[in-house]
Formats: sequence, C-alpha cells, structure tokens
Amino acid sequence: MKLAFVCPRLHEPGTVGGAETLLYSLARDAVLLGHEVEFLTTCARNHYSWENELQEGSFIRDGMTIRRFHVNRNRDTDAFFRIQEMISRGEKVQESAEEKWLRQGVNSDTLIDYLKNSDFERVVAGPYLFGLVEAACMAMPEKTLLVPCLHDEHFARVGKIKKMFESVRGFLFNTEPEMALAHKLYDLRPQSSAVVAMGIEPFDVDPASFARKSGIATDYVLYSGRREPLKGTPLLVDYIDCFRERTGRYLDLVMTGSGDVDIPPSMRGNFHDLGFVTEEEKREVMAGAVAFCHPSVNESLSIVLLESWLAGTPALVHAKSEVLKWQCSSSNGGLWFSNYPEFEAMMLFLLDRPDAVSTMAKQGRAYTVEKYAPEAVRARFAAALMEI
Amino acid sequence: MNSVTASIKIGADGIDTEKIVEEIKATVAKKRAAGLYDEARIARAEKHNLVTLKDDETFIQQYFLCLRQISQVDINDFEIFERRGGIFGYFLTKIKKSIWSLLKFYTYRMWSQQNQINSLLLAAIETVNERNQQEIDALKARIKELETKDN
Repeated sequence: MKLAFVCPRLHEPGTVGGAETLLYSLARDAVLLGHEVEFLTTCARNHYSWENELQEGSFIRDGMTIRRFHVNRNRDTDAFFRIQEMISRGEKVQESAEEKWLRQGVNSDTLIDYLKNSDFERVVAGPYLFGLVEAACMAMPEKTLLVPCLHDEHFARVGKIKKMFESVRGFLFNTEPEMALAHKLYDLRPQSSAVVAMGIEPFDVDPASFARKSGIATDYVLYSGRREPLKGTPLLVDYIDCFRERTGRYLDLVMTGSGDVDIPPSMRGNFHDLGFVTEEEKREVMAGAVAFCHPSVNESLSIVLLESWLAGTPALVHAKSEVLKWQCSSSNGGLWFSNYPEFEAMMLFLLDRPDAVSTMAKQGRAYTVEKYAPEAVRARFAAALMEI
Repeated sequence: MNSVTASIKIGADGIDTEKIVEEIKATVAKKRAAGLYDEARIARAEKHNLVTLKDDETFIQQYFLCLRQISQVDINDFEIFERRGGIFGYFLTKIKKSIWSLLKFYTYRMWSQQNQINSLLLAAIETVNERNQQEIDALKARIKELETKDN
C-alpha cells in the first residue's frame, strides 16, 4: 500500500513532542510492514512561531521518503492567537472565525497540493489540533486515518473539528479512554476506530546509577516532559513543597525536559532541574525515583509513564486525567490522586512500602512489555490498515 | 509507618491499585472529617488543582473546603527566635517579642473583626450555593418527570 503520513513537524532525536514521535514511529512501522511510505511535513521546528527554519526538499530516512514543505507565509498570527484564546476560554465562535483560526495556524498549501496530486491509498495524519492536519483530512477524507491525540478540551468542540472527525475514513487512537471520548463527542461509526498506540522497546537499567553519578542520595519524585501549567508542573511543585513541610520527610523533586519552573525558596536545594538529557540518562533518573509523577490532566497516552514502568518505577498521576488513570489501573502499576491529602497519603504509602513499590513497578513493566512491545503495536497497526 | 500504609496487604498474585486507591481515599476521608487537613498550607497548595478541577462536579466542594481552610487570619502567637546568638541575639529576641505584643494589641480588634466577616461571608456563600443546588435538583427532577410523561 502507498501511504502518506502528515504531521506539522518531523520527529528529531531529542524532540519533546509526543505526537511527532508517535506519527514517526507509526511511519517506521508501516515501512517494516512492507508499505511504501512518504512522510510529509513542514520546514518548521518551533511550534509557536512556525518559522520556516529548515530547507525545503526531500530525503530518505529509515526507509521512507521525507518531504519538507514551506509553512504558508503572511499568516495573520494576531487573528490566530485572538481566536485561539477565545476558544480556549470556552467561548462560542462563529464558523468564519473557526475557519480563520484553522487557516491562520500552521498550514502549507504546497504540501496539500502535493497530497491532492499524488496517488496515495491511505493518508495517516495527526495530531488533530492543527490547521495543516485539518486541511489534509479534508483534502481526501475517504482515504484518511486520523491519529487525533485527542484531549477533553474546548478545541475538541469546535464545529470544524467535529466536521473533520465525522468526515474521515477512520482513527488510530492511543488508548480506549481516548476512543471513548471521541465517540462521545462526535457521531462516529464504531468500525472506524482502532487502538494502536506506540511501540516501546523494553530495556533494563541499574536503579543505583543515577545516585552514583549525580550524588543525589535522597528519595525523589521525577517528572519528565514540558514544564508548563497545562502539564500540571506548578501543582506538583506546590504539592511536594507542602508534603515536605507537613510530613517532615526528605523528598526531592527532579525534572527533565524544557520550560520554566517557579521554585519557592523553601524548595531550593531540593529541586534538581536536569534539562534535556539523553535517553540513557532519562532511564537512569527514572529507575532511581520513588515514583514518576504525572500531574497533567490532558494526555492521550503517556509514553513517559510506560518508560518509567520499564525502568522499574511506579507512577503517581492526577485522577482527572482519564487516560493516565486508565493506564495506572489497567496495568496496576500506579496510583491516582484528586487532591493534596490523597497525594500526601499516596506519597507516604510509596515511601514506606518498598514491597508495594516493587510489585507495582513489576506489574507496570509486565503490562508495558505485553501491550506496547513494538511487535504487538505493529500487529495492531497492520490489522487497522486492513480493516478500516 | 503511618496508618494508611500499614493496613494495606499485598497478595502473592500482586497488587490491585484500584483497591489501594479506594482504601487510601477512605482513610483520607476519615482524617479529613477529624480535621487533620484543616490548615491554610493545604489550601495554598491546592490553588493550581482548583484550576484543574474547574469543570469537575467536585469543584465547588473542593473550593469551599479550601476557602474554609484559609478564611481565618492566623492571630495566634508564634515562636519568635533569632538566629544570632549571644547577648545581642538575646536582646534582639526581646525587642521582636515586644514589637509583636504591641502589634497584637493594636491590631487584634481588626483581625478578629476580619475573621468574623470572613466567617459570615463564607457561611452566606455556602447557604446560597446549597439553596441554588436544591432548586436546580428540584427543577431537574421536574423536567425528568415531565419528559417521562411526554413519552
């Protein structure tokens, strides 16, 4: 089968964007399944400015042709951000404003023209929130499989987004709760959906190596990823600070990834910002942690949670995230809190019960190896391509 | 080991995290009822969580809980100490204690009045919310009844 993958940015090693990693991973799986694959993307690196920073053109990588196209110039970014702000506040906007929001966001007319004039049998596009993805879906909806990475947010209720979901051929979801959310929000055919997700190669890591190399010998909680209010990192900082003060227990907070973190004076010396780290370093930090804490409520699949289980560390997540809670309950590899008192009690449980920590981590690892092994994901993807 | 962690058993066939979460929630609910989480420190830690829960049905209960924890200005005495030792530190502590006594004397009326106002405002908001909720529940029940009749 001749397949096109459409994603606004190309995954590069060290990229933090989970959706880009997911799309690229699926494209690689398609190559391994014997399909002819082209990966269509833009020349942008920055997902705020969408500046054309990279050279337009094509090259071969991992057995697929990668084509970069320019992002449209002369975008009205003021209008885009104004409408985006209105939507994010939950305001109802007119159809013309929705159209403007999609068109003035990231778009590439040359990419869409190329797509329309090619003979692809299937187009796999995602994530759902970008103008380029909407345009690709609407260019040939009968051939498109959307990888939405859907969250329960105001953007998901925009009329044009609903129309896009209800027009495409089918969906490759990351988790069952994400699929259930899509079927709740939109009028979709049941047979149009499959849960595929992303494959992760199992690994082994020494839990003592991070303490040895960094000199951090105290118990610590880890968060990896973008640091911003939407990801819940300010909440995590406040909770750990309060936990230390109320319980008198020694517990540090370690973060990897990018973004600013506002650390209160009482936490200085107990917060360790490692910034960008290599995959190997990330695994070592994960393996040494008491728990991997994911306080975000907007996730469609947490890869870092799966990685932390492979590293032998249980998870602690916010119960408001249906997906993270589902990952923890279906694997029995983590706990979920709704408020500070629950967080405190769960943290004490994790600190005082190494037997439980070890069992949860083992259960999480077994679940990840079984459900997210690259072969298992590839088999689900192959079935979805045949059946949808 | 605290009471939450001690009671939870781990079987040979592993852990049911759903069960652990339920047990921890039950223990937290008991402790909450006993007032063990009634402090302004927790309300401050919850400020970002309230934003997260704003569309959640538990939001208003959580919000009132935080408001109750933080509505009273702390007018109690506190430990006054001076990190510098010796005779200088001793006198500095004495001066600080004197300043605090004066401040407390002059501002006590203001604080206690503010606490009364805060308590009244909180009680009023809770009562209004309770009445509104009762009205909404009654209207919902009436709509359901009428819809059943229509069908």
